[in-house]
Amino acid sequence: MNGESDMNDQPKNRISRKGLTVWRLYGIIETAVLALLAGGAAALTYFFEWPVWLYAVYGGVILLFAFLLIYLFPKIRWQRWRYEVREQEIELQHGLFIVTRTLVPMVRVQHVDTEQGPILRRYDLAEISISTAATTHTIPALITAEADELRGMISALARVAEDDV
Amino acid sequence: MSDIRYKLHPVSAFINFMKSLKELIIPFIVIFGVNIFRDGGISAMFSQGWIGLLPLLIGLVVILFSLVIGIIKWKRFVYWFEDGELRIEYGLFVKKKRYIPFERIQSLNYTEGIFHRPFNLVKVRVETAGSGKVGEAEAELTAINREDADRIEKEMENAKHRVVPSMGPHEAVEESVEETNVPKKELKTLYRMSMKELLILATTSGGIGVVISAVAVFLSQFSDLIPYETIYEEVMLFLRFGYLIVALAIFAGLLIAWIISVILTLLANYQFTIQVDDDHIYITRGLLEKKKISVPFKRIQGIKVSRNPLRELFGYAVVTVESAGGSMGGKDEKIRLFPLVKTARMLPILTELFPDMEFQPALTKAPKRSVHFYYRLDFLWMLPVIGLLSYFFFPYGLLSLLIVPPVILIGIWQHRTTGYALTGRQLTMEFRGFSKHTFFVWKKRVQAVNVLQTYFQRKRDLASIQATIKSGMLGYSARINYMEKDDATRILDWYHPSPISAKQKGQPE
Repeated sequence: MNGESDMNDQPKNRISRKGLTVWRLYGIIETAVLALLAGGAAALTYFFEWPVWLYAVYGGVILLFAFLLIYLFPKIRWQRWRYEVREQEIELQHGLFIVTRTLVPMVRVQHVDTEQGPILRRYDLAEISISTAATTHTIPALITAEADELRGMISALARVAEDDV
Repeated sequence: MSDIRYKLHPVSAFINFMKSLKELIIPFIVIFGVNIFRDGGISAMFSQGWIGLLPLLIGLVVILFSLVIGIIKWKRFVYWFEDGELRIEYGLFVKKKRYIPFERIQSLNYTEGIFHRPFNLVKVRVETAGSGKVGEAEAELTAINREDADRIEKEMENAKHRVVPSMGPHEAVEESVEETNVPKKELKTLYRMSMKELLILATTSGGIGVVISAVAVFLSQFSDLIPYETIYEEVMLFLRFGYLIVALAIFAGLLIAWIISVILTLLANYQFTIQVDDDHIYITRGLLEKKKISVPFKRIQGIKVSRNPLRELFGYAVVTVESAGGSMGGKDEKIRLFPLVKTARMLPILTELFPDMEFQPALTKAPKRSVHFYYRLDFLWMLPVIGLLSYFFFPYGLLSLLIVPPVILIGIWQHRTTGYALTGRQLTMEFRGFSKHTFFVWKKRVQAVNVLQTYFQRKRDLASIQATIKSGMLGYSARINYMEKDDATRILDWYHPSPISAKQKGQPE
């Protein structure tokens, strides 16, 4: 039995620690939007003289979501995210509630892209998308240089990979 | 010969015209429909002088216009063979040229509509191997003679069998073609749908839902035009006649919808035939509109056998092949190999079509302890719904509890169905939503394998497994839920491409 595919072995590489920072940033933005909505609701509560305890509910909701979106979820997601690129295959693991393990043989890879939005660029990060004929798999936060190197490596490996079937 | 420019049959102009008329039907109905509901109805249109007739005049002009367009389109369309390519020139205002190399043509699909029949014509769709790029060459010849269609096929075979792609001296090529062509053309008929199967298909098909929803959609389109208030009063009157009549009316409506769907299915699948040659499957079907689809074996990605509970009970199944399709149309990629067939009759034919496939492997089933996973998530929506219903409609709301046993039973049923098998290079997955599906795929056709685990599944050493293949422009994923974690490991292991694992493991089973 080769140990590679044992479910207990996780893929080796983590994504960049800065990815966690970026996700926390997203969390802050989402919480801010939520806070705006809650602010609106609070204003309505004030003008229409709805019960006072509603303020506590709004506050509670914001705090809860701040905790989940800024602290807990990014942390779990970051700890979960693993990837490994081997000569013959790519293995990924990710997921918050449902942990997904994905195996993509190198032969099936059709093209690899890297992409960088404004926030990712600020942190010198890039995401890398691996496309097969039917699926696309994205590794979300890698140091730009690392992502470029990985892209080159995958496309080189994909070119030489031979169908064993 | 290669320099002759061929035209389509003149009927093409008429077919183009009919096609644009079809697209005009809805706007026309709207224009005239509005007038009907106006004061005085249609007759008012005529009493108002020429202003009242304006919609009619515009309509006539539009019809004339589309007729002229149809004729111009036909006049402009030419095709010819040159340099091993099918070349087409067409276009209404802008002249467009499309060159399709013969080697790139994957299949020619023929359709004979009611307008084609009297003249012994066919519509030919040229399908190429779409690599997913938009704008990949693909062409449609609206109406050509049978002989012309055969000529295209012949030219195509020529080009494919010529070692050197350039045009040689003509006569020589022609001769060599004649030789290579003869054995290739041999078509073998594997299956012809019996009348009994056709009738069962028509009467049990889910087409009824389609028809009903079509009617619903049709009505919703005109909801603004329907005078609801008048209808409402009439309905109230109607209701006084009692529920029986209402029920009867509904039943009659359903019956009519069902009869329509039966007739449509009969027409579409009349004389359903499967034929094969060396590298294609040909499916022919239809009464008024006769269709011939060819599917190259090379493009077939996986095979799915589906049985809804009623058909399962009587041993019938539907077989679809997933094909990596070229056309953007998206309809032809899921090709129904058997619209309905007895399992016993289907198996030998499938085995003949796909000799390297095992169609009745022994399945590894989902473990006993995973059974409650199949229904316990449903409580997430059931409990609040039942709670709310029971609270607000107190005594009768409790009846909503009755949905719990069926949901659990379906879950148990799904659990009992779920299973998989690894036989050599083949993966078989069996699962159930409400219908039972058995999915057969070759390892080389699987694009990616996912293993999914929630926290609760991890605690109990369970995992769900999903395999994705290419289907049409997109992917199709088959998934078996809540299997043993070891099964997931086994499937991942089977799927690992590294030759080391193949050597160590040898042949599974």
